[in-house]
Amino acid sequence: MGYPHKPHPQETVVLSKHFGEVEARSYKGWVKRGGYEALKQALTMEPAKITDVVKESGLRGRGGAGFPTGLKWSFMPKEKKKPHYLCVNADESEPGTFKDREIMRWTPHALLEGTAIAAHAIQAEVAYVYIRGEFTEPCAIMEQALGEANAAGVFGKIKIYLHRGAGAYICGEETALMNSIEGKRGNPRIKPPFPAAFGVFGMPTTINNVETLVAVPHILRNGAAWYKGLSLSSPKSTGTKLFSVCGHVQRPGNYEVTMGFPLKDLLYELCGGMPSGRTLKACIPGGSSVPILNREETERCLLDYEGVVEQGSMLGSGGVIVFDDSVDMVYQIMRLARFYAHESCAQCTQCREGTAWTTRILERMLAGQGKPADLDLLLDLSENMTGKTICVLSDSCAAPVVSGIKKFRNEFEAYLAGKKHPVLAA
Amino acid sequence: MSVTAHPAPGIEEYQPVFTGKTLDQLNGILPRYPTKQAALLPALWLVQQARGWISDRNMTEVAEVLGLTPAYVKGVVTFYTMYHQHPVGKHFVQVCTTSPCNVCGAEAVVRALLDATGAGELGATSPDGKWTVIEVECLGACGFATPLLIDDDFIESVTPEKVAALVKRYK
Amino acid sequence: MPDDAVQLTIDGVAVSVPKGTLVIEAAKQAGVLVPHYCYHPGLSVAGVCRMCLVEIEKQPKLAIACATQAAEGMVVKTQSEPAKRARTSVLEFLLINHPLDCPICDQAGECELQDFTFQEGRPATRYSPDYAKRFNPVEDFGPDVLYVPNRCILCTRCVRFMEEVAKEPVLNVSERGDRAYIGIHAEARLDHPWAGNVVDLCPVGSLLSKDFLHKARAWELDKTAAVCTGCSQGCNVTLDTRENVVVRVRPRPNLAVNRYFICDHGRMNYRWMNRGDRVEAPLMRRDGELRATDWDEALDRVGTLLRGASGRAVALVSPRVSTEALFLARELLSGLDWMGAFQVVMGEEAPLAGIPNLALRAERAPNAMGAELLGYRRDYAAALAAAESAALVLVLDEPEVAVRTAGALLYIGTVLPEGARGAEAVLPIANVAEEEGTFVNRDGRVQRYLQAKPPPGMARPAWWVLSELLATAQRGDHPATPADAFDLLAATVPAFAGLSYASLGLGGQGLNREVRVPA
Repeated sequence: MGYPHKPHPQETVVLSKHFGEVEARSYKGWVKRGGYEALKQALTMEPAKITDVVKESGLRGRGGAGFPTGLKWSFMPKEKKKPHYLCVNADESEPGTFKDREIMRWTPHALLEGTAIAAHAIQAEVAYVYIRGEFTEPCAIMEQALGEANAAGVFGKIKIYLHRGAGAYICGEETALMNSIEGKRGNPRIKPPFPAAFGVFGMPTTINNVETLVAVPHILRNGAAWYKGLSLSSPKSTGTKLFSVCGHVQRPGNYEVTMGFPLKDLLYELCGGMPSGRTLKACIPGGSSVPILNREETERCLLDYEGVVEQGSMLGSGGVIVFDDSVDMVYQIMRLARFYAHESCAQCTQCREGTAWTTRILERMLAGQGKPADLDLLLDLSENMTGKTICVLSDSCAAPVVSGIKKFRNEFEAYLAGKKHPVLAA
Repeated sequence: MSVTAHPAPGIEEYQPVFTGKTLDQLNGILPRYPTKQAALLPALWLVQQARGWISDRNMTEVAEVLGLTPAYVKGVVTFYTMYHQHPVGKHFVQVCTTSPCNVCGAEAVVRALLDATGAGELGATSPDGKWTVIEVECLGACGFATPLLIDDDFIESVTPEKVAALVKRYK
Repeated sequence: MPDDAVQLTIDGVAVSVPKGTLVIEAAKQAGVLVPHYCYHPGLSVAGVCRMCLVEIEKQPKLAIACATQAAEGMVVKTQSEPAKRARTSVLEFLLINHPLDCPICDQAGECELQDFTFQEGRPATRYSPDYAKRFNPVEDFGPDVLYVPNRCILCTRCVRFMEEVAKEPVLNVSERGDRAYIGIHAEARLDHPWAGNVVDLCPVGSLLSKDFLHKARAWELDKTAAVCTGCSQGCNVTLDTRENVVVRVRPRPNLAVNRYFICDHGRMNYRWMNRGDRVEAPLMRRDGELRATDWDEALDRVGTLLRGASGRAVALVSPRVSTEALFLARELLSGLDWMGAFQVVMGEEAPLAGIPNLALRAERAPNAMGAELLGYRRDYAAALAAAESAALVLVLDEPEVAVRTAGALLYIGTVLPEGARGAEAVLPIANVAEEEGTFVNRDGRVQRYLQAKPPPGMARPAWWVLSELLATAQRGDHPATPADAFDLLAATVPAFAGLSYASLGLGGQGLNREVRVPA
């Protein structure tokens, strides 16, 4: 639901059903709400069968990549020759995204249950939940929940451990996450090899997002067909998605809607529309790493993997950032570039130097010292930063820059023409 | 490893972190991983919890305990922004100013904090030693702008008006 | 064609390589050098510099050649427009913070950043002067290594070398993003016995040798293939000379011996090659004093001495002398009741942990094995004792000679030590950098070294002196070239059977018909 707001009638409340219920955090409270039934069921099933159900359901990774989850699980070796691992990606750091935080602090047992089921499906005895260091409250809640669940002995042979991050967005990248667990700098790895062949500690590993895993118990209990039926755009995008709406809306929060839901309705109905007297200028639908949509595109957009691509962006993590007409697009794009420059791990030349250079060009522009050639330079740098690096942080910096210049060129040109006052802080 | 650390002469004797309860905690963590190296991030958190920050000498101790080199540990410490490499104020404030919070007035919250705490400048410690304020990247609570961390307390929906009262709550 | 070979095309050239070969290596076979920085055949693949981006048909994105395995039917294009643009952009990104230090940077002339920028870079900057370059002061990492952070391109070769090859991770990458630099813990120093290799590995002038700092420009240097004389490992090296002075020693790749590395002891062990206090003319004893003369007279008089000698002869030889010289010395004394001995300075062994069978060896001389194979013994004390009553004592470049003899002392060496001042004759010879010859390392590998500079004055190579003496003393074949000398040795000494100077090449050859490994 749109926590902290009451559930909106147009929401399809499945994963967020118990947001706001303090009792749901406890083991007893969760069992009372039907919790751990799916796990009990899963532990009696063959691992391959669980994977089949999840495959059939069409569940796709909710962290941003949208990779079919069942297919990812099926990459793990069928015959177990080495230890298998599951890593839960709770590093949620994509600007605009705050759904995993809510899942963990309201329904920690849902995540633990989903984790255990997934671990069983991929034949892993150990699962690490990688929680970003800044999530002090969710971490404490998860620790408490884990203690209670362990005491109740629900996980069987599966061991779930919490591993706390220490402030690095890049550790949300699956291979960097594995390196971080191993006690290394959070540098992404070259692929191949892929995690299912050579993952954490060199062992076959699967990495799944929090939101992906909490869907699994529901799928097992209610069936794949039910999950597919929830969505408006089966079979390509199935189930529901938590959209974290933030920025300039009346009621920011996490809203759970069916796949294929119109973005326009999400913003104007569920979120109550723009702040008073303001109009929508731009929207970044999938966390800051995807192209920016202008007003027309936003109002046309359907929220599923294909629908957003049709409007020229991506569903990503579903972090919906809304900018009204008071926003200085150039300043915000600079702020995003600065984010990527700060988070770059420093391995690849284009990312390490390009994110910083991009930021500097934009800062100069905002200080009134931009040059006409700067726009073409930014576009050229962005192209050089796209598709040429170990991971896509570099591409993610380019996305807002390219789409921003394309769709809000007038704002950039205003700075170049000196028509606007230089802005160094909003 | 064969590398030995040689502390400069004249430095007062070093008090190890990993003794007693802290050592017990580390020993409880080690079995979770197949390698000692993997306990590095948790070990560094234990040091920061005990001492408030992680010095070069602490890094040497962690290296010895986990069978790594001091240089290796330093490379890891400097990668992760939450580990402090020098002492900070009694209360450490991290304010998110990335775009979603930025458009909701995060920078005004920062200015109010710098004022109310007396820190004056980002990264500086206030004269009374009580406060250090820094800007950080997305804290993952964008719908509750502006969020911030004061030590381990995660506080949502902070506005400039609420800052003074908030600061007063911390001694 | 072996079963596991793979056929692919690189820039239109068809090549066949073993399965698993990286495209960057396969390209070498096609005569294509794919520009790169972080890749090195002696280190793990990092794939971080992004310099080796190439286009591979049917692949949507450009690929890095250093991390892509050659596949059957692959078509690689290194010079397509997208590939060239991508590499040009990498160079641009590397140069934005890189200082314009070429005029004061040691690496100039042998700098890969210069080379590839000249080849594929942009002609002008789009960064300066609008934006300030990152600045960090120079750091002293340890005994010989300076780190200039401003020039560093973060290829991480140095970090990987210390971690994987030296197995002592004393370097790290610190910080993140464009604030990153190579760090060393405050309480640590880069004093590993093989640490100097990071200077060679560094593609730019970021890691520098203090020993070589501002000594010479790369283009002024003449480079000669040689073998290190520091110990019995026999690492292959290149001697860099400027105006006939040896100024630097660097490793020369040899996969069978030292791969791509040399130790710091060998690296610093060259100053003695430039000693000025040399014997520069043959000296003969006349009227109780050693007086300079010419070769004709010297050879004539020594020859007479040798022809008239009978009874005991003792040879005290240096294990730093070429195999050819040791052999010819033996031949010279073969008509007499002779014994020969050598002594070796010993030191502490320092292995390079990540490479099997590679270490700074305890025996600090390059040819102890050669001496042994030729019949010289290690019982130096016994030889000294025997020398006292010997008719003839031949000392071959052993400066620590404190020999007393009732007979004639013939000293053949580079310098004139106290103990040789009682000699009948002193014949000046070239040192290792001034001649060509061979050494036999501790593993029985025979390796050639070439001449890097001319010998001073009238000094000549030891093999030549001994060969001439053989002629004068009428004691048998006297070879006229180093190749002849070695081939004669191979024909005479069973241990060296089957080898020839030609077959040694520049990569060396093992005794007992081992297959030659190319350098």
